[in-house]
Amino acid sequence: MATSQTMTDSNAPSAQSEGALLVMLPPLEQAAFEAILANLRTALPAQDLVISAPEGISADAYPGFRFATTTPTKTSWTLTAADFVNAHQAATKNQARAVLMLGPESQSLDTSGLRDLANAVLAAPADLAIPCYELPPQAGLVNSSILYPLNRALFATRVHFPLAIDLGLSLRMAERLAAAGQRLLSANQSDAPVWPVSEATVAGMTIDEVKVGTRALPHPADPDLNSVLPFVTGSLFSDIEAKAAFWQRARVTPPAPRTTPTAHSQPPDASAEVASLVQGFHLAYSNLQEIWRLVLPPNSLLALKRLSFVDAPTFRMPEALWVRIVFDFLVAYRLRTLNRGHLLGALIPLYLAWVASHINIISSGANPDRHIEALATAFEADKPYLVARWRWPDRFNP
Amino acid sequence: MMFNILATMIQTPSGLPQQVYADNATIWRHMSDALHQSLYRVLSLLIAVLPGILAFFVALGVFTLIGMAISAVLRWGLSLINFDNRLVRYRATGDWTPATSPTAIVARVSFWGCVLLGLMIGVSAFDASYATAATLPISLLPYLTHAVGAIFLLIAGTLIARFLARSVLIGAVNAQLQYARFLSLGVKWLVLVLTAAMILDHLEIGGVVVSLAFGILFGGIVLTLSLAVGLGSRDLVSRSLENRVERASEHSAEVPPATRSETGETIRHF
Repeated sequence: MATSQTMTDSNAPSAQSEGALLVMLPPLEQAAFEAILANLRTALPAQDLVISAPEGISADAYPGFRFATTTPTKTSWTLTAADFVNAHQAATKNQARAVLMLGPESQSLDTSGLRDLANAVLAAPADLAIPCYELPPQAGLVNSSILYPLNRALFATRVHFPLAIDLGLSLRMAERLAAAGQRLLSANQSDAPVWPVSEATVAGMTIDEVKVGTRALPHPADPDLNSVLPFVTGSLFSDIEAKAAFWQRARVTPPAPRTTPTAHSQPPDASAEVASLVQGFHLAYSNLQEIWRLVLPPNSLLALKRLSFVDAPTFRMPEALWVRIVFDFLVAYRLRTLNRGHLLGALIPLYLAWVASHINIISSGANPDRHIEALATAFEADKPYLVARWRWPDRFNP
Repeated sequence: MMFNILATMIQTPSGLPQQVYADNATIWRHMSDALHQSLYRVLSLLIAVLPGILAFFVALGVFTLIGMAISAVLRWGLSLINFDNRLVRYRATGDWTPATSPTAIVARVSFWGCVLLGLMIGVSAFDASYATAATLPISLLPYLTHAVGAIFLLIAGTLIARFLARSVLIGAVNAQLQYARFLSLGVKWLVLVLTAAMILDHLEIGGVVVSLAFGILFGGIVLTLSLAVGLGSRDLVSRSLENRVERASEHSAEVPPATRSETGETIRHF
């Protein structure tokens, strides 16, 4: 059941591939498609690749590559259940040894990143190769505030991007994720994301995190945070609920690899955004108390009350408070304390308050990675609270 | 004494004392007969209806007990097969997410289904005994049956009002509308007023007056809101709409992702 995790350097030599590597590509424009093929040709031996691309691609135009057509899926900003089902079907059909799934705008990935992702599942004994992107300090904030720390605390994994859009999969991992995707498809939810890290952890498979450098992340089709955040957090909370028997057992997160923290450039001035976010929090505090009261204990409500008096420049949300908020919302999601749509909608202003606090902290000179690590550590430290509330939700909770 | 005075008042003023006395006795006898007959009819009706009432309560009680037993068995059985977790795994992220667990919903539905069945059987038994016994048109039964429907309407209306009020409140707060609470309260009371009108209409209380009053009230609220938006809050609403349009255009602007941070976008949630 042990899950090993390693951090691979981007300088590793290319592995001698014995079988084909199936590369799953999303629907792309011609220029982007050609750019990816050029990167793949540089990174890996072309004869060992089977490119699974949407129909309409002429194989003669790209000599050296083998092509396999797959069922076209709806373009999404993240990998969906349908993508995983298609990937497994194509891998079985083409007798591939492993699968490399690339998401939208993957042409921005450099060749060493592509090579390391592929090698992690071809040469190294990893079932799941997951990239670690290098993002600007104020990007990927949902991942930094909820997805990464929750996954780390509950599944004892240091994978920084649990919802990564580029993945390397062994065949058995592809099969496992396809089974998870099939369940969603049968529930008519082909667009729902699958959480590969938790699936791999529960199945006892090996996870390898690969540094791939910078990458242009695609934007969600619906730019409205009010619909995207409930969609993603709802999916994550459902996954956590389904795997409750696993994560309630005590586990130790593997030690962090010795890496020097990335030096970020000074973040751009976001004082106007912070002021707007804090104003939104004040508005929410004066209107949503009756809903928050159903979910949060008095201690958290008192802390929020104190925060409601703080001005934008000095606005700081303590890590412990944010941890309790996420845990209490997770428990309320499980208990169905109120309608889940309402519950996740009521989380949005609190998340935006955390964003304001995070931006203030990194604007004051703190390293964003260190702040996110401190937050993840706080999530780990407070996990007993979540387990206790999950098991005995009616117990007195001041 | 009172009857004597009454008889005296009713009789013609030209009557003799002896005749007055004789007529008083006749009136008393007639009234007494009428009272006796009325009492007899009502008691006969009650005696005839009593088994129906008893049948109503027995049916309700028995089916409530059956419902409790079925509910307990279902809870136990579904917990045994881990029904909630299976359903979560099968449905994953469902659009419809009830406020209680699926096991509790199944158990409650079965319990209240039995109670409803008992209620229907009880009312039917009462109706049968009432129909055979009733010789006078008493409008009690229609109100009794309509009251059950009215209670359901009240429960459904209250739940819908609360759900819609919360939806509007959260949506408006997340859209950063300053008048979120006002909107939420407005929606809530509109639904509650509509529910009250439907209940009164269902109970056939008030007749046309209720429909008319509701129409006037609802129309008045809509007119008030229109005037408020059109005149009083024109600036507020236009500012809100402008902010929304600006935010939407900022989000949907087709800027290449690689250059977004350079073009002023400082925060990215995903």
